[in-house]
Amino acid sequence: MNPWEESLREALRRKDVPPGFTNRVLARIRELPVREKRPWFRFRAFIARPALRWAAAVLCLAIAGSVAYREQQQRQRQQGELARMQVKQALHIASVKLNAARKMVREVNRGTAQSRL
Amino acid sequence: MTTSTLDGCGETLGRLAKGDVSAFEDIVKEHQSMVFSIAYHFLHDRSLADEAAQDVFLRLYQNLASIVSPQHLVFWLRKVACQRALDMARKLPKTPPVSLQDIREPTAEPPDRDPLLSEGLRRLVASLPKDARAVIILRYQEELELAEIAQILDVPLNTVKSRLERALGVLREKLSRWTGGVAR
Repeated sequence: MNPWEESLREALRRKDVPPGFTNRVLARIRELPVREKRPWFRFRAFIARPALRWAAAVLCLAIAGSVAYREQQQRQRQQGELARMQVKQALHIASVKLNAARKMVREVNRGTAQSRL
Repeated sequence: MTTSTLDGCGETLGRLAKGDVSAFEDIVKEHQSMVFSIAYHFLHDRSLADEAAQDVFLRLYQNLASIVSPQHLVFWLRKVACQRALDMARKLPKTPPVSLQDIREPTAEPPDRDPLLSEGLRRLVASLPKDARAVIILRYQEELELAEIAQILDVPLNTVKSRLERALGVLREKLSRWTGGVAR
């Protein structure tokens, strides 16, 4: 620090408080308890505790994670269900086609046998 | 603030957490000079600074649960003292009044100090724009690093640097005018 800054530091050094300052602060605080005892203020002081904030943050993360996991599971289940339906429909179409082909083959075979007789 | 002071403060906070109400009185006694001085150098009025400092400790009492360490306590007090002083300064007329009891007796000062210069500097600081005043007070009263000041005032580091440079420039200029006037 240069001399100019030193004189600034000297000018701005801490000052003593006026006499009775602590008592005035404590007197004003003594007027507070009625308000502080209300359930809302007690609850606010309780939730303002850092440990509780961390616990709430962890809980929120756990809930969010669990919801995301459930949603993903449900989406997978829906996709599986859709695939099952599609396979079922494909099998049904194939079976209809096969039946028609078998019927045609049977009719062709019957026609051939009659013509031989 | 020294390590031993912080240890003492940590012990006080511990007592307070255990429900020892007298511990709050110790906290007030330990930090009242710092809080009052920030407000006083800001407002340049002892009664207003007294009121502002009381408000700060009242708010501390209401927010004790959020204080996690002695370092946090000091940071919190400086921050709230600056905010409170800023709020009060906004409501004041542009030129702050100076009471006679604010001027120190020259005979009570050690010989190497110039009471007239100190008083002049305090007046000049009190006449600075509010943002610049906060930087100067935190820098030269509390002797904080610029990064700490930026944290307390919640502004970027470069803003603190520019405000400090500008404020020092203004102070130098005003002081040279003032001393020139005295010399004439």
